[in-house]
Amino acid sequence: MALIALILLPAIGGFVAFFIAGRGERERWVTIVTFTLMLVLLTAIVAGAPEGRWYAKVSYPWVPSFGISLEFAMDGLSAALIAISAGLGIISVMASWSEIRTQSGLFHACLCWTVAATIGVFLSFDLLIFAFFWEAMLVPAFMLIAVWGHGDREGAALKFLVFNAVAGFGLLAASFALAAMADHMTFNAFELAEMKLGTPVQVWMLLGFSLAFLVKLSVPPFHAWLPEAHTLAPTAGSILLAGVLLKTGAYGLFRFAPMLFPQGLEAVAPYGIALGAAGALYGGLVACGQNDAKRLVAYTSIAHMSIVLMGIAAGVHYAVAGAAVEMIAHSFSASALFLLIGALYERTHTRDLRQLGGLQQIAPRFAAAFALFCSALLALPGTANFVGEALVVVGIFQVNWVFALLALSTLVVSVIYATRLLKGLVFGQPRLDAPVADLTWREYAPVLAMSIATLVIGLYPQSLLALLEPAIKAALVLPQP
Amino acid sequence: MTAAQFAALSPLVALALAAIAAMMLVPLARIEAAQAAAGAGLLAAVGLVLLRVGAPAAPLGALFTDDGMARFGIAYACLASLGALVFLRTGHPAKEAPSLLVLVALGAATLAGAGHAATLFLGIEIVSLSLIALFAFRLSRQGLEAAYKFLVMSGLASAALLLGTALIYAETGALDFAGWTGHGVLAALGTALLLAGLAFKFSLTPFHMWTPDAFEASPASAAALAGVVSKAAVAIVLLRLFLTADLPEPVWSSGLAALGAASVVVGNLLALRQPQLPRMLGYSTIAHSGYIALILASGAPRAAEAVLFYLGVYAPAMLGALCVSAALGRAPTLPDLHGLMKRRPLEAIALSLSLLSLAGLPAAGGFIGKLYLLHVLVDSGLWTLLAITVAGASLGFFYYARFFTAPFFGHLHEEAEPLPRLDQGLIAVCVVLIVLFGTAPAVLIDVVRLALP
Repeated sequence: MALIALILLPAIGGFVAFFIAGRGERERWVTIVTFTLMLVLLTAIVAGAPEGRWYAKVSYPWVPSFGISLEFAMDGLSAALIAISAGLGIISVMASWSEIRTQSGLFHACLCWTVAATIGVFLSFDLLIFAFFWEAMLVPAFMLIAVWGHGDREGAALKFLVFNAVAGFGLLAASFALAAMADHMTFNAFELAEMKLGTPVQVWMLLGFSLAFLVKLSVPPFHAWLPEAHTLAPTAGSILLAGVLLKTGAYGLFRFAPMLFPQGLEAVAPYGIALGAAGALYGGLVACGQNDAKRLVAYTSIAHMSIVLMGIAAGVHYAVAGAAVEMIAHSFSASALFLLIGALYERTHTRDLRQLGGLQQIAPRFAAAFALFCSALLALPGTANFVGEALVVVGIFQVNWVFALLALSTLVVSVIYATRLLKGLVFGQPRLDAPVADLTWREYAPVLAMSIATLVIGLYPQSLLALLEPAIKAALVLPQP
Repeated sequence: MTAAQFAALSPLVALALAAIAAMMLVPLARIEAAQAAAGAGLLAAVGLVLLRVGAPAAPLGALFTDDGMARFGIAYACLASLGALVFLRTGHPAKEAPSLLVLVALGAATLAGAGHAATLFLGIEIVSLSLIALFAFRLSRQGLEAAYKFLVMSGLASAALLLGTALIYAETGALDFAGWTGHGVLAALGTALLLAGLAFKFSLTPFHMWTPDAFEASPASAAALAGVVSKAAVAIVLLRLFLTADLPEPVWSSGLAALGAASVVVGNLLALRQPQLPRMLGYSTIAHSGYIALILASGAPRAAEAVLFYLGVYAPAMLGALCVSAALGRAPTLPDLHGLMKRRPLEAIALSLSLLSLAGLPAAGGFIGKLYLLHVLVDSGLWTLLAITVAGASLGFFYYARFFTAPFFGHLHEEAEPLPRLDQGLIAVCVVLIVLFGTAPAVLIDVVRLALP
């Protein structure tokens, strides 16, 4: 029941925030309290967990005639991602404190509902419930972009919704096809994993699932929705998109592709690695050419998620572990950068690298934090991103050295865009006439928390790897070298 | 007539009496009295159906069928008409309207129980004739145009239906659906004509022309009757034909599949750039007819369950959207919806939820309806139809999203009058049903199971 409470808590919190909104900052505090309670509940579940892979499991019929049940389970990977979702939820509230002034109640409700649905995704082991939450998270996220975004927000939001909702059909159709192949109608992933399917069938099913996952992961050529959605969304929306929503694609691939279609994944693995390498190069190179700082970071997300895809497809222990760490590291680095750029935009009303500069002279705290996360972006040793990307590259070396060289070259590209970002904002002479105020405590506290997380994982990755180990073991499909 | 037979027919009797009573009250009393009579009749009919839930089917001869599906259809028609009656008050000044509305419900109830060509034709004509009057009631140019279009096409459709029935009779020698077992050329031709006649009432492409005009120009309650009540009744007729008759399979299923696929594509494409809410709903209802036709064409074992479930989630969504549209005044366009959230939150939420449900996104009942649709298509391995459905539904996201976010932008220009209590109640009921069917679909599935043979 605790797992269901974990989903219901933000869902109800959203309603409360919506209905009590008014004068004062009540809805903001309600949202923060909701996410804090989730973290407390999560800690309680993990602390009281029995031995073994699963911290908690629950099964409850939903539509028995369809073979759909509320099949929830949580292991280290789900727990880590849920903790990040709740944490980034709090950070989103703090980051949007001064930005969001209209319809604040609805805004915080959408924030809560987005998190509620993603937590449903991270916990569901019934494919239809998974698809339910998969599509459910699109609506509040769509609202976040469409109502509180900038520029052509409606167009960006529509693109986001249509790309992802359409891709969701692939997931639904493949789920039905799988259920139809089972001896009794069921969508329970644990039961479906027991099925012995031929490799060609597995490949087809995997392609159906992957359509949804790759679009959400925004691996080229499925990425067209991402740059605009990330750039035009409000800061909180960008944080949630990069930190939480992209992760649902990575999570789905990580969790269900090896579990349900091991032979299928093995068959398409080289293509997966190649697609990931191409995507990482493409995302990185396009990022190098951006002048809008937020758009630049959006393209780096494409590159980093492509690296995650490479790691999962490689299927060897190092690479899969690297992909898992990279997922989590990227949540911190990209979200922190979005927060910082959002804060800068509020002050200067520009994100153009050619108009900004010299922040280390006028806003030192901002510049320090920005520099740290730029180093994370280029995977400097000591940051969490280094652990992730290095492990992926090492793992791919064990599979095929050509791909590994490709993977390495993406790291070179990341140096270019990270230094470009640094040079454009932090170094040089201030190019703006108006002074730029440094970060307030509401902006600084979350940045500090994310810096600590990035450094702790970077310097002592074992803590995270131990947590993720059971999930990583389950995701290994290829014969290990 | 035995007691059981009378009990089985009593809902129809109640409706007929209510229609007569409402008509007789027109010269004597105010419109409220006629509305009360109509409402009482509809409620009584629902009650009479509910009393017989689980009772064995009464032997009614060839004309009527008294099975779970018929009872489901009668209760559905009455409840949806009751919803339409609620917002008839806001948009419709004519005193005769309540009586005509009950007649539509009577026709739909007749169709729901029809097991014979005679009852089928009777039901279709009762529905069509009452609808023409309801469409024309505003006596505006557009209203008359809508009614005229409907009248002309209705005549053609009836002719096609009759000729089709005659051809099938010529081959099989039977007029009841169960006796329609023929595979010859005459039966094939007859089936094609029968389908064309029914497709008109069901607003399937290419017989859909009247639908958007009717939605735009006529009162929203008339649109609800055409788009929900009569449509569901025709869907049940199609379902009964699918279950009992043995008509030439290639014509029947490939015909339905072609009509359905065309409706999905055309309905969604035409809705795409439509800035007017009722007209958009009109086009979207064409697409939804297409989805239902595809379910029937799939011939999957669970097609019947899927159709009834789809109808169940469709009604509150369409009624909710139309009721809000009626409350906003004549044919609201996208800018008219802006800022609705600030002034009239209940209506804004109801509209957005209804459209979410029609778009088939989760937490709304439409998502489960979409699951059923995908399920039967995958189950029958109809990959082409699946691709068309996905393409159509994807287009649907575009135009529904434009409308369901509009209430959250900008400011409302005109001062809004508060809605009457009954309208508020109806909107609230629709919202509750949409969310209930979306989060606990087992409730509706149980009802549907009860209705299936």
